[in-house]
Amino acid sequence: MTEKNESKYVKYLLITISVIFLFFFLVLPLFVVVTEAFKKGVDQYLQAVTDEYTVKAALLTIEATFFAVFINTIFGVFAAWSITKFRFKGKKILTTLIDLPVTVSPIIAGLIYVLTFGRQSILYPLLEKYDIKVVFAVPGIVLATIFVTFPFVSRELIPVLESQGTDEEEAAALMGANGRTIFWKVTFPHIKWAFLYGVVLCATRAMGEFGAVSVLSGHLRGKTNTLPLHVEILFNEFQYMPAFAVSSVLVVMAIILLIIRSVIEYKGKKEEE
Amino acid sequence: MSEEVKSYVELKNINKYYGDYHASRNVSFGIEKGKLVALLGPSGSGKTTILRMIAGLENPDDGEIIIDGQVVNDIHASKRGIGFVFQNYALFRYMTVYENIAFGLRVQKWDNAKIDARVKELVSLIGLDGLDKRYPSQLSGGQRQRVAFARALAPNPHLLLLDEPFAAIDAKVRQELRSWLKSMIEKLGITSIFVTHDQDEAVEVADEIIITNQGRVEQKGTPVEIYRDPQTSFTAQFFGQTFFVENYHDFKSFDTVEGTTNAILRPEFLKLTKKNEEKKYTVTIAEGIVQSVDFRGSNFEITVKYKDNIFIAKRTLDEPPVEVGEEVDIFVYRLLVLDGDKVHLLKNRALNEESVVI
Repeated sequence: MTEKNESKYVKYLLITISVIFLFFFLVLPLFVVVTEAFKKGVDQYLQAVTDEYTVKAALLTIEATFFAVFINTIFGVFAAWSITKFRFKGKKILTTLIDLPVTVSPIIAGLIYVLTFGRQSILYPLLEKYDIKVVFAVPGIVLATIFVTFPFVSRELIPVLESQGTDEEEAAALMGANGRTIFWKVTFPHIKWAFLYGVVLCATRAMGEFGAVSVLSGHLRGKTNTLPLHVEILFNEFQYMPAFAVSSVLVVMAIILLIIRSVIEYKGKKEEE
Repeated sequence: MSEEVKSYVELKNINKYYGDYHASRNVSFGIEKGKLVALLGPSGSGKTTILRMIAGLENPDDGEIIIDGQVVNDIHASKRGIGFVFQNYALFRYMTVYENIAFGLRVQKWDNAKIDARVKELVSLIGLDGLDKRYPSQLSGGQRQRVAFARALAPNPHLLLLDEPFAAIDAKVRQELRSWLKSMIEKLGITSIFVTHDQDEAVEVADEIIITNQGRVEQKGTPVEIYRDPQTSFTAQFFGQTFFVENYHDFKSFDTVEGTTNAILRPEFLKLTKKNEEKKYTVTIAEGIVQSVDFRGSNFEITVKYKDNIFIAKRTLDEPPVEVGEEVDIFVYRLLVLDGDKVHLLKNRALNEESVVI
């Protein structure tokens, strides 16, 4: 057997393994979700999807996602900008801290907020005084979602900004441009695609967040239930068909975002050429 | 003090630290208006730091920077009237050539007609007519450098600073670009300072050279002055091709400087002759053995061993060839004696004596 043949076999072997793996772990479950969802017909499916609590859960999911993306986008740009464009003490620590939400289990994130804003917290009297409810309320869900998704935008931006260096900004500053002009004219065109990509990733992750939200939500149907939590409740009540139907909604939302992501990636690459 | 009055750019006792690292040590020098000056030194010698401080991209911890009679330490970089060409040009990659050059003018709120006229003038000055719609990535290295040059010049600066302007260009184009830049700067008459680590570049382009080493200024002068009369041992060794000799007393008919034994030689300080060749100075000749003969295009570079020292000398193609292992005569015209940090230029006394005899 020649070396060339060997590499050919390796190629097909690796492709086959990947395809089989993807089939069993991704395609098959997705297929099951969809078939289970439509098991009792389209009418039943539509009924499950348009159920009052499902719609409320969907709206809450969108709300939490929107806030998380909005806040993390601003924070992500600031963090990435400060880390890459300035020299300061504790920069390494800040970079590491940003990554923390990815490494910490979401359930711990949830517990942290329960302890910080819950009844046993020293902040609780203050919150009670002003009638602010965090735990087992919408603000808690939003906070948990923000926490879990907070590195996504900055993580995408930091490598791009780092590879760009500070020369162009310096050149612009030397010519008398102010910070705003420098950002919009020099820096932003460069990070545009990475930025959009980060936003989409952040949204995808925010939408599907379960662990941290689950701890903070209290599972109040129609009030603090997001779509993933709603699926869990339905599932625990042995309402399999509706559970799968709601899941399929989440899947569709995820697929739409994935398509947007691919388009962004494609456009970004094309522009680079 | 008349010299100070003439200086257009002046640095007085500048010190700069990065943490514990002393990047500039008591740097002082003055530059006359209209001069093209090179800051020459090995990497890490602090030359770029000096340039960036003049530009206002860094602040000195100590000392004064004066431009056109005004202390500029507290004046923002953009208000110093400086054009800066970055090492990698730092062209705005998402802007066309036109927009790159126009950027500084737009920031200064020139009106559009004036911007258009100025940009067109510069585009044609740098010989890139018709390429103004291109993006930097669609240009060659040399073209990018020209754009960077034009962009720096657009707002009519009084002082042009260039950081390693030729470092990112391949050797062939570099040569052409050097002469282009030199003639361009001469034509415009703008005071310019550029940083380089390449002494050929400094000699070829600059009117004056400032040699830096370990954060200090070693010497300032025209290329000829620095070559002919190096004042520090660093300059003597850094500038031109040199080699080191222990115990220069072995060559008779040189004066001795108290307490010194080591000297520096350059190939052109030596005359190498074959045993049977006619010699001008017979008195003080040392004998050496040829170690290698290398063809260098226009001449032969010959390595000779004398006692424990290795000498390098040149012979022209017209002279009778020497061979490896051959015993040859060496005559030393001049020596640069190392005296601590200082350098003394010594001439062979035979040069005077024999001319008297004949």
